[in-house]
Amino acid sequence: MSKEAQLSIAERDFILEALCENVRLDGRKPDDYRPLNISFGEEYGHVKLQLGKTNIIVRISAEVTKPREDRPFDGLFNINLELSAMGSPAWENGRTNDIEAYATNILDRIIRHSNALDTESLCILKGVSCWSIRADVHIIDYDGNITDAACIAVMAGLQHFRRPDAVVRDGRVIVYGVEQRVPVPLNITHKPLSVTFQTYNDSKHVIVDATLKEEQAAEGDIVIGMNSAGDVCYLSKYAGAPADAMAIVNKTNVAWEKVKEINAAIEKVLQADLAKRAKIGMADESRAENDRLVQIE
Amino acid sequence: MVGPIASLSQLHRSDGSASYKCPATGYSILGAVNGPIELPARRDALKPEEATVEVFVKPGTTTGGVGERYIEGILRSVLGKIVLGREKGFPRRGVVITLAIVGGENVARGDNYLTILPALLHTGLLAMISASVPLSMTFSATLLGVTEDGDIVRDPSPTAAKAAVSLHVFAFSSKNHLLLNESEGRFGFDTWEYVRERALSICQGETTASADGDVAMGEGTASASVSGFIRETVEDQIYSDYAYKLDSI
Amino acid sequence: MASSTTASNLTPPSLSLPPSQFARLQPHAYLLAHLSPPPASNQPSIRANGRAASQFRVTSANAGSLTHTNGSAVVRIGDTAAVCGVRAEILHTKDIASWSVLQASSEHNLDNSNYAGVSESQDEEDRGHIQDLNLLVPNLSLSTGCAPGFTPGAPPSALAQSLSHQLLSLLHTTRLVRAEDLRIWYQPPNLESEEFGNAGEGMDVDTEESGGPEREIKAFWVLYIDVMIISLAGNPFDAAWASVLAALRDTKLPRAWWDADNETVLCSDDVADARKLSLRGLPVASSFCSFEGDAAAGWRAVVIPSAEEQKQKKSAQRRWILADPDGYEEGLSQERASVVVDKENGKTVIVKMEKHGGWTVDSDDLRQLVDVSAQRWDEMKRILDQC
Repeated sequence: MSKEAQLSIAERDFILEALCENVRLDGRKPDDYRPLNISFGEEYGHVKLQLGKTNIIVRISAEVTKPREDRPFDGLFNINLELSAMGSPAWENGRTNDIEAYATNILDRIIRHSNALDTESLCILKGVSCWSIRADVHIIDYDGNITDAACIAVMAGLQHFRRPDAVVRDGRVIVYGVEQRVPVPLNITHKPLSVTFQTYNDSKHVIVDATLKEEQAAEGDIVIGMNSAGDVCYLSKYAGAPADAMAIVNKTNVAWEKVKEINAAIEKVLQADLAKRAKIGMADESRAENDRLVQIE
Repeated sequence: MVGPIASLSQLHRSDGSASYKCPATGYSILGAVNGPIELPARRDALKPEEATVEVFVKPGTTTGGVGERYIEGILRSVLGKIVLGREKGFPRRGVVITLAIVGGENVARGDNYLTILPALLHTGLLAMISASVPLSMTFSATLLGVTEDGDIVRDPSPTAAKAAVSLHVFAFSSKNHLLLNESEGRFGFDTWEYVRERALSICQGETTASADGDVAMGEGTASASVSGFIRETVEDQIYSDYAYKLDSI
Repeated sequence: MASSTTASNLTPPSLSLPPSQFARLQPHAYLLAHLSPPPASNQPSIRANGRAASQFRVTSANAGSLTHTNGSAVVRIGDTAAVCGVRAEILHTKDIASWSVLQASSEHNLDNSNYAGVSESQDEEDRGHIQDLNLLVPNLSLSTGCAPGFTPGAPPSALAQSLSHQLLSLLHTTRLVRAEDLRIWYQPPNLESEEFGNAGEGMDVDTEESGGPEREIKAFWVLYIDVMIISLAGNPFDAAWASVLAALRDTKLPRAWWDADNETVLCSDDVADARKLSLRGLPVASSFCSFEGDAAAGWRAVVIPSAEEQKQKKSAQRRWILADPDGYEEGLSQERASVVVDKENGKTVIVKMEKHGGWTVDSDDLRQLVDVSAQRWDEMKRILDQC
């Protein structure tokens, strides 16, 4: 299996020594995220996210399927993350690797298992049909911290996505196209995000949103998943050097601040996009009216 | 008609990349090329004398299936043929082309991939140019549908493509060779030849006047042709890459 | 030491190799020597396997060889052999998630089919049912040992997957199977008088005011079409498609109906009741490859002549288009072409045509290939009619 280029000893020492003086390679503070840029495509639920040089595209899609036998009232929701050679030359197409399994697991736990998307609201007709929502994460440029970036992108996508309206009439499900009925937003119960910390020098230095180089130099990581209300829905300290318990407690506060900040940023771009869409919609409508007027004349 | 939009070298990690959007069909593709690159897992398949070209197509909202494997085979045979795989540094190594469908409808199981094929081909070509992979030629491709009335529709949307009697994809090299043809539906050879002429004029912008002397409108000029578009895209990139030199002159 | 000297005394080391070794060591030169014999020798240009350029291998087909299938066939084209078995399974409409879903946006919806076919929309509807509900499921496997290099336990290779896709895609574009053949209907008893209509069974059926109760689709037959290539010696697609075609022609579906009392589909075990599928046409696939006389063509650092120049120099250019290539020939060529034709009232219709992997085959050659494929169609029709 191919590998990412190893960090040289000099680079590693440089990163560690700089951290001792509270300086990071790109001049950030330990608790700073890289510049975050979220934009939406033409389709609903198409998110383009840039976190520094980490670049992600998320697409949300919906289709009508049969619910699971044991859960007739629930819809389906899946997050699909597949790494391809586009993100990094070290990743081989069609082969799973550790990062993929790791990131998928965290996304599943933070977003799916915390029931951020209310799957019961996806039920159309008990035991017969329900919506299956699918989030596809494409990592197109990898420069560290894909879990946070993917988490933000998926949550932004779920809030942006609109599924076609469906009603039940005489035991039949009628799905209305986007042109016929205003599509429906998904029912989001809360907005959890992940915040990943890397620890250095026996957890004396803990930084947020590491780049690829900083990740390679790190001793261990702490992932905290929480929502704007401050509920922790995921916490992990997998491998690597032991971390100071107090550091985790302290960083939870940092994480909360970050989650609130990022959720506010998502909200802002969402509103901007909605306003833009409304404007286009109005323009279309008035054009249609004009056409009609012309016809009458 | 709105032409396609493309740009080169947007990504940082891969050796070359390109994005391509075709408003007529609604598809938007992102391509990345890594090469020459070691392929340790494919040691048996590596050829001692030339580069191994690998293509991977990643659908936007589903998991890849048999349809992707099929289209990868076609893309590999076309793109692999134009790579000069015996240049220094390429033998025994791989050129890995990854194409992600980031916008547009899904191609359903068992559906033909023809509607998306030109976009995939162009993205692959531009990404290889961006990665400076040595090529023997460039090419341009187009999708044409023949409707029930016998009209030829350029770049039909997925719904229009479903209604068409036959669908044709042509790719012509920069020197007018027919590099690829995929035709499906029900048609006679005369229809095919007529469609081929039309495709050639769309791709290469040649004024191939038909017998009655009418010239396809708007496609006659070089800049409106698909090959002209490919050239302009690459020129734009070169212009911005060498902006520092241009300023100093 | 001693033995070797005696051996060399007995038979002096010959400088020529037997043909079989030459074929392995210098495959390209070997095939080229066959195709372009020296003018003095007066020998015809012939392929290494003894065939003329546009000659197909001996083809045989045998239908109905497997007992536990609804239809089966074995097709052998030279040393490439494909076995195809069709198995029909019942799919209840209540198990189809999208069945009771109406797409309000599209003008034709799945429900239309309740009204037994208006002939104009028949084709569209067929596509809708067969394609959207996945009623045809072909799968091709290249079995262990069909050719060297196919080891047991390996996942389906890219070749097997893309062949599966080609079969499915061709089944869809040719609309070979009619959706009507796969539908299982329920005709509620005609309850003329209104008392009866309110009284019982009629309740769950959407009774309409006008006319009797409406026919309703209750289930579908799903055809699982499994193709196994038991021996691979080049050109697997032609053999696989021919076997699918022969097997579908052989397929018989038992008479099935919806039993309202048991709420299930019942099948008749009377063989006389079973009916064959009525297929649309007989599309026949023919594949070709192009063999370049110049082994270095395509990668040597020379300026590639433009298409017009190439056309003029055609006589000088040495290239052969070989029909139905065997494994040896496939290994020596990159450019492939494939034509699927059907004949309607003696008129040739092209159903699919593809070529890729090179730049030498163009319209003149393809015209010839279509003619060759049309001849092949006659031959295949004879073979398939006899089996």
